[in-house]
Amino acid sequence: MTLHWRGLGSGLVVVTLAAGSAAAQQVDPRLERLDSVTRPIVAALVDSARATALPTEPLVQRALEGATKRAAADRIVAAVRRLALDLGHARDALGPTTSPPELAAAAAALRAGAPPAILTELRRLRRESLTVPLAVLTDLVASGVPVDSAAAAVLSLAAKSRDTDLVEFRRAVERDIALGAPPASATAAAAAVTAAAVQVNAGARQQRPGRP
Amino acid sequence: MAARHPWAAFVTAAWSLLGVRAPAAQATGTVDVGLSSVRYDGFLPSAAASVSPAVRWEQPTGTLTARGTYLRFESGHRSLQGLLAGSLLVRPPVRGWRGELGASLGASRYLDFASFWHATADARLHVLGADRGVWIGGTGGRTSFGSAARPVAVAAIGAWARRSHVMLAASATRSFVGDTAYSDLVSTAHTLRGALAFDASVGARFASRGGGRGVFGEASATLALGERTALFLSGGRYPTDPVSGSVAGRYVSGGVRLRLANPAPLVSRNSAPTASPRRMPDDGDPVASVRLEVLPRPNGAVRVVLYTANPAADVELAGDFTDWQPRPLRRTADGMWETVLPIPSGTHRLNVRIDGGAWIVPAGLTRAADDFGDEVGIVAVP
Repeated sequence: MTLHWRGLGSGLVVVTLAAGSAAAQQVDPRLERLDSVTRPIVAALVDSARATALPTEPLVQRALEGATKRAAADRIVAAVRRLALDLGHARDALGPTTSPPELAAAAAALRAGAPPAILTELRRLRRESLTVPLAVLTDLVASGVPVDSAAAAVLSLAAKSRDTDLVEFRRAVERDIALGAPPASATAAAAAVTAAAVQVNAGARQQRPGRP
Repeated sequence: MAARHPWAAFVTAAWSLLGVRAPAAQATGTVDVGLSSVRYDGFLPSAAASVSPAVRWEQPTGTLTARGTYLRFESGHRSLQGLLAGSLLVRPPVRGWRGELGASLGASRYLDFASFWHATADARLHVLGADRGVWIGGTGGRTSFGSAARPVAVAAIGAWARRSHVMLAASATRSFVGDTAYSDLVSTAHTLRGALAFDASVGARFASRGGGRGVFGEASATLALGERTALFLSGGRYPTDPVSGSVAGRYVSGGVRLRLANPAPLVSRNSAPTASPRRMPDDGDPVASVRLEVLPRPNGAVRVVLYTANPAADVELAGDFTDWQPRPLRRTADGMWETVLPIPSGTHRLNVRIDGGAWIVPAGLTRAADDFGDEVGIVAVP
């Protein structure tokens, strides 16, 4: 396993800064799966997150994912550090009372390209958990829907829709895309509790492939 | 030799399209290259080769399509067609209603003497439901064959419905092109089954004055070979279109569709399984046709089912709900692999491994870069 000096250096700084609290905290036994170099750095990052009231479980899981995939130490450290930053940004956008699953979902949405302002607006609009709306937002972007279109659709549904409605909405978009609707149009149509934007742009005269 | 220039230009354009990334998130491009046997009404049958590049730009509020076709017939004659069409969706203050304004510009040319152009504008009003809808619209404009432009007026009404994996639509139109008038009834069907898409249409022209009459129908099948390549087979009979200048004919065509990739998002919805790029070439392809479904149960547990077309002796799953410890899946009597796990509500990351190979993302999951140089599947459990 290789370790870049840069990653090691910055990791050691974290270790040093967090030494006091790290000494006081019991290292998560699951981190025993990491090698002896990576483990203390990740443990320090986890402790640092705990000290700032960020959820630590996603960080542990990210490190374990790297271990299972036999990733290099510097990659594991970088991944955990990046996730910690994303979780922090997610909390900045959603507020200090955000639940750990919401923060994890928000971090994924930010990583997919959702701007923090969208998360803030989502929090303002919806009293219930944001976990599913954020997952739907991430999934729409993954389906090829531009971030602004996906965000507009989720925001339009967030205030009144239940989680099951949102999941059904995502399925409707996926189905329409599979049936040939453009992702952005499918999203806009489904968000308006409509359907795929079929039969639009009649002037393009849908033509069969190969028709001479 | 002069006749080769357009061919070369189209081939060059096609390859340039393939080499250039779409300029916007929803811009897509395709190039159809095919061979046809065609018999236009009143002409002898002929073989033809065609190249048809198309670019489509989509936004939630509108769409724009540019398409061209170069045809070279057995005789050496050639035809060129080009079309630019767009529409803008507007939302009236009534829930479920949509307005649409569109325009279409097109031209075609056969040999050096027969040339058409048309310029039309149309308006439609859609009433959209969850799985069905109706629309009504009208089109006006001009079309020209040679030098004399003729007015175009079309009134149309249509409906569509979706049932499971099948989309059905029907429309009725009454068209006036100069002193030509005709009515069309057309129904279409579209379905997608895995990598195979079927399209079919049947129609009838009647109450015609100078526009021909009779029954027509077309069908096509498209088989996706990957994200960027597909094979197509199509055929049928289509009617004369006095607006665009196409002549009625029968045809059978086959060819390949090459598709420009969308600009890659940071994560993508997975339509095909992916394997680690670190997989060794002699590993074979054990991940073909691997699909995973996550099915929440009322008791809070989640059933994970994996379908694979290839024989496997051992299938494992690892995710943030297993502490990334590989968990074996159990083989069922019908050849699937499954396990039931207590997965809490939220978004989760997971991978699958077959016969101790690389960690893969099966189809059916959202795919994302995993920070470790590979990919991870993401699933939301409500």
